[in-house]
Amino acid sequence: MAAVKRLKRVAALQPGFISFKSSAESDDLNSGRRKRVNKNKKKNWNKHSDIQDVEEFLDDVRLQERATGGLISEKPDDSLFFVDIGEQKKSVLPEVQERKKGKKSKSRPLRIDLILQHDSLVPPPKDVLAYQQPNAKKLRRIAENAEKLAAMGVLPRRQKRLLNRRPATKTSKAKTAANNFPDRPYYDLWGGEAKETADPYYLEQTGKRRVKRPEKLNAKPSILPAVEVIAPGGSYNPDFFSHQALLLEAHEVEVTRERAELRIERQLAVKREDTATEETVFQELVEGLVEEEEEEEDDVVSIRGGLQQEKKTEKERKRERADKIKSQQKQAARVFTDKKQQLFQLRSIQATLKRREQRTRERVAQRKANQEAEKSMPRRLGRLKFQAQDLEIQLSDEIPGSLRTLKPEGSVLKDRFKSMQKRNMIEPRERAKFKRRHKVKYVEKRAFREIT
Amino acid sequence: MGGLQKKKYERGSATNYITRNKARKKLQLSLADFRRLCILKGIYPHEPKHKKKVNKGSTAPRTFYLLKDIRFLLHEPIVRKFREYKVFVRKLRKAYGKAEWTAVERLRDNKPGYKLDHIIKERYPTFIDALRDIDDALSMCFLFSTFARTGKCHVQTITLCRRLTVEWMNYVVTSRSLRKVFISIKGIYYQAEVLGQLITWLVPYQFAHDHPTDVDYRVMATFTEMYTTLFGFINFRLYQTLNLVYPPKLDSKAESELKAEHEEDYAMDSESYLEKLSALSASLARVVATAEEEEENQLDQFPADGEDLENMEAREKEQKEQEAQNRLFEGLKFFLNREVPRESLAFILRCFGAEVSWDKSLCIGGTYNVTDETITHQIVDRPDIDKQYINRYYIQPQWVFDSVNAKMRLPVEDYFLGVTLPPHLSPFVEEKDGDYVPPEKLKLMALQRGEKHVQEEEEDDDDDDDDEEYNDEVDDEDLTEEKNLKKMEDQRSQGKQTLAVKVTPGKVKPWETGSVGNKVRLEKEEKAEEKRLAIMMMKKKEKYLYDKIMFGKKRTTREANKLAAKRKAHEDTSKAEKKQKKAKKQ
Repeated sequence: MAAVKRLKRVAALQPGFISFKSSAESDDLNSGRRKRVNKNKKKNWNKHSDIQDVEEFLDDVRLQERATGGLISEKPDDSLFFVDIGEQKKSVLPEVQERKKGKKSKSRPLRIDLILQHDSLVPPPKDVLAYQQPNAKKLRRIAENAEKLAAMGVLPRRQKRLLNRRPATKTSKAKTAANNFPDRPYYDLWGGEAKETADPYYLEQTGKRRVKRPEKLNAKPSILPAVEVIAPGGSYNPDFFSHQALLLEAHEVEVTRERAELRIERQLAVKREDTATEETVFQELVEGLVEEEEEEEDDVVSIRGGLQQEKKTEKERKRERADKIKSQQKQAARVFTDKKQQLFQLRSIQATLKRREQRTRERVAQRKANQEAEKSMPRRLGRLKFQAQDLEIQLSDEIPGSLRTLKPEGSVLKDRFKSMQKRNMIEPRERAKFKRRHKVKYVEKRAFREIT
Repeated sequence: MGGLQKKKYERGSATNYITRNKARKKLQLSLADFRRLCILKGIYPHEPKHKKKVNKGSTAPRTFYLLKDIRFLLHEPIVRKFREYKVFVRKLRKAYGKAEWTAVERLRDNKPGYKLDHIIKERYPTFIDALRDIDDALSMCFLFSTFARTGKCHVQTITLCRRLTVEWMNYVVTSRSLRKVFISIKGIYYQAEVLGQLITWLVPYQFAHDHPTDVDYRVMATFTEMYTTLFGFINFRLYQTLNLVYPPKLDSKAESELKAEHEEDYAMDSESYLEKLSALSASLARVVATAEEEEENQLDQFPADGEDLENMEAREKEQKEQEAQNRLFEGLKFFLNREVPRESLAFILRCFGAEVSWDKSLCIGGTYNVTDETITHQIVDRPDIDKQYINRYYIQPQWVFDSVNAKMRLPVEDYFLGVTLPPHLSPFVEEKDGDYVPPEKLKLMALQRGEKHVQEEEEDDDDDDDDEEYNDEVDDEDLTEEKNLKKMEDQRSQGKQTLAVKVTPGKVKPWETGSVGNKVRLEKEEKAEEKRLAIMMMKKKEKYLYDKIMFGKKRTTREANKLAAKRKAHEDTSKAEKKQKKAKKQ
């Protein structure tokens, strides 16, 4: 086949070749390989058998019917042909035209209507389904039946099922209102509760009962009161002395702070000896010119002396050993005599023991006291230490004469916050610093440069 | 010695603690959520005793939690809610980004929320536990309710706090449980006694906020969230104990009275009821309408023996005093001028049974006008006032606060308009004997004892003399005590030296005849004698301690005396100055 195809192509390329059905042929060539189809299936017959001629014929028939209202071959001859007898009745035409002109404005249909008009002579086929209903009889019977049942009050099954269905579980879930909802309801939280009868292990495992809160958690982390009342000097119209006492306290705080600041400053200060004077500058300039060789030599000698070590003789070793034993014996004898002597020192020993005991007791008491004091102290809970807020005070000339002119001092919000930190409920923190991810690039604007 | 080497930090305190970051990872929460959870559950960081051990050899400062606490947190159902919320936020953000508005709406509808009721129940198993811990909640709610609605925190939170505080104030008014008030430069401190618990709270002045930057608002908001829940439940229970309707409703009678014509001028419909409640001028509705007979119920009398009887008498006396205090302002009719802090004054006055009203333009809920002839006191805070009624006192607001603290109606003369006020003393300070007591307080104590102090001083000099009197009194007392001490010391030293006890025949003294004053004196003498004997009978060790204590006392008295002298000097100088001024004027 391939050979035949190639032959055809070659032939087509030859000049002077005229194909019998040019377009089809070229199409065939381009479409590539011809399909080989098994015709042992009915589907394939339909699909692949060439029915072009039949179609063409049928098309032709349809065209003839459309155009002339029947097959031309079946038409009588006089409907197809007429006898030409030359020009005739010339006078009639103008009359007709005149009449047309007169009526034109009134009764001539629009062109669009003409276009849309059914111009075929074949009547459109009747749509059978428009008049018929499939299964009409059956449906009618069903409807009748349903009506009858409805009259009796029997619902069809589908409706019944719908009605019987449980209502969807409450269209909206019981939404938990936000905790800060202003009109939220409250109830008696500590009212009596029904005793649970189920197995406690089961309840706990299924999450139906909460794990018991350990007792230790109910202990407060500090013994300080929640609201510490300000000293009497903080009254809006204070007694003179209590006000002075408060001022003194604030003063003390300020003094310690200043002292700390000063100390840092002092530490940072440059020493007088470190500052350059004319002499030192000169010394530095001269420095490289002076040579110090003698010192180096000395160093070398000392190193050598340290390195040398002589070997001990046998005699020496023996003597050393004997010395050691002797000293040990001496020591032991000493201890023994001391112990003997202690018998006569019983009193003083007792006294020292007593003293020691007394000291431990004191220390225990002190430690206890410290621990007690620590309970009310802020603990170190994080990176930062607790820092008490500034004492709220009003200076003597700031004290208002009346409640109306009182200017509140400090912030209650801050007071609360610090109080919580002081009571070890939250760790002291500082505000998170803003960190730039990329460096800012400074660009000198051109216009700017031109001006300066 | 055989066996595996013990690894470090696998036992002991190192295993009892967990760092914050590890705990956070264990719970799979972000740091903010972890913080919130800890606050809600009441789990606080813990400082280990040996930090280096716990920190596995490192000395870097870290925040530690007890491992058991964190394990306990693992069981909390709220943790899951936090995670859900995180997912919700993520979804919502995505939907927004894609501009899927239906999805946004759907997600919004299904926003996960959580309740704190079970946590409150868990943290405070009984009502009294909760009541003991209410100080914080009160202060926080009062603070938040004064915030401006500027987006520093949720407006809803502010409204809720306001509602709860109003409920609380109404409860205190109805139960008449306020005890102390102290106006400080920071805010106003109140103390109330509710069901036997002393509760102190701090109320900031209105409009006094500059928002500090170094306060973590998120943390504070979390605390408030917890406290509002707690506070609400406590309020409910408290209202129940008083047989009041919760949420509070105004008495039907009062409500009809308060019906103003121009109500809508004050507040929106939704808010006007809360405003009316917060006016505090009307009483609340009760569940069962009862007459006022309730207050007449008496403490049950139990037959008791010996000491109990004394105790009971003391208790009875205390209760009587208490009742008297509760009726401090009963029958008085106050009118508040517009420049005084309305809310605090109305609250305090109502707490002690007074009737209060104010100008119509000041706030909703005023029941009578300035022109009412039955007004007994008008509280004014300006140097003078144009039109004065003859049949009422014009006083400065401090009178109310001082009277409450003194548990009696103080003489109004010291608090008239334009008068320099006596100092406002802190009622929270309790002086021990021997401490320095300011003369004003001494005067007050004398008044409380019922001693009539010299009235109608027209001049300052008289007043000062009076002060001096009291000072002298104190001095005298101190002096006598010191003398006694000295005498005793002498005796002791003598005893040591001679070890001889002489018995001298007693003499009948002329004042031992039987008049009342003498009897008292006799008793005093006897007591002193007993004391002396007791001191003589002391063991050496006890005596040492006793001496120490006495020395401390003496020191404090000495200091107090010094202070008093100082005060006197100060007053003398100020008086002299005044006189000079006067002379100059004349």
